[in-house]
Amino acid sequence: MLTTSISPGPVPTVRLSGEMDLDCADGLRAAVEEAARGASGVVLDFGDVTFIDSSGTGIFVRLALDLKSRGTPLVARNLSPAVRSVFEMLRVRELVGDDVFAE
Amino acid sequence: MSTDAAAPASLLAFRYRPADGSLGRLVGDGPLPLPADELRQRPDEALARRAFVCHAHTTPGEGEADELCLVPLGDHCDILAIRTRGWQRHHGDHRRSLVDILNDLAAAVARGRLRLLDEAECARERTAGREALRFVIDDTPGLQNARQAVELLLADAGLPDIHRQRTILCISEAVTNMLVHGGGRGEMTVRRLPDRVRVVVADAGPGLNFLNWLEPPSPQGQVSMGYGYHIMLDHLDAVGLHTSPAGTTLILDRLVPAAASQPDPTQETPC
Repeated sequence: MLTTSISPGPVPTVRLSGEMDLDCADGLRAAVEEAARGASGVVLDFGDVTFIDSSGTGIFVRLALDLKSRGTPLVARNLSPAVRSVFEMLRVRELVGDDVFAE
Repeated sequence: MSTDAAAPASLLAFRYRPADGSLGRLVGDGPLPLPADELRQRPDEALARRAFVCHAHTTPGEGEADELCLVPLGDHCDILAIRTRGWQRHHGDHRRSLVDILNDLAAAVARGRLRLLDEAECARERTAGREALRFVIDDTPGLQNARQAVELLLADAGLPDIHRQRTILCISEAVTNMLVHGGGRGEMTVRRLPDRVRVVVADAGPGLNFLNWLEPPSPQGQVSMGYGYHIMLDHLDAVGLHTSPAGTTLILDRLVPAAASQPDPTQETPC
């Protein structure tokens, strides 16, 4: 199960905790949409994500591309080893662009 | 599991046994890619050379190049026919091309990483060894519970962290495919064999024809990028697949370190 918490600001941070799989789509999208409202960008903090599979990855990719197309960049930060490994396996950087992983 | 004549791409698999000339169907129920007599002759070269052979052929009247992959496997030859029809996902769709997926499957059969199982082989392999865990799974919380239980079992089996994590990832991919494409419900069994942990994921869904991976992305999120099989075939020691209109069974094998291997009580000789 994935839980989310939002730290407000001009570029809010959505902190993710738990597991990202098929189940996380609705909750993650709702949290990111709430954070993106009126913001100039959104940061996703993956530091406490303990598991991710291709479904969870697909949901992230879709969100990143959607926000980018609306002019609200999404930045992924603090990738846990579990996330980094799967993102590299699935070549996520090629799908969403290097700018999503800017530190 | 009918194959629509207008379908953009499809995979059929057959098993040819030269000893008795039998040609059995392993995957898909579309029309033969060639007349049966001609299809029986195609494996001759692969069987004689004991080498994987892949070539293009043209389906009469369609003008589209198909791939015919011939994989010699001891006393028989598996024949994979990929009908591409030149189809590909539209530009900007970040999911994997279906043709890429089908080619990956063919390559995995050729490498021996993926074994296509007939009904008898599947029945034998899915019951081998000792049952350690069993779950009926019909939702993602059920999958999450199963992942946690298997993680503990794999830790007890002495698997290194990286292999444990990747095995759990592969299990998640297999069960997610079952939930999304296999009727939404099925059973996952973990079995111990002398040298491996075996995970059997079985559903009674409509069977795998790969065409049901073509649905457009749902508005809520991307549920599948087509990477599930790619991940399983890259990160497990062996994968077995049996699929028919009565359901699909995946057999996922992870070898365990020799020192941690447990004797299989069903194989022991009584004192």
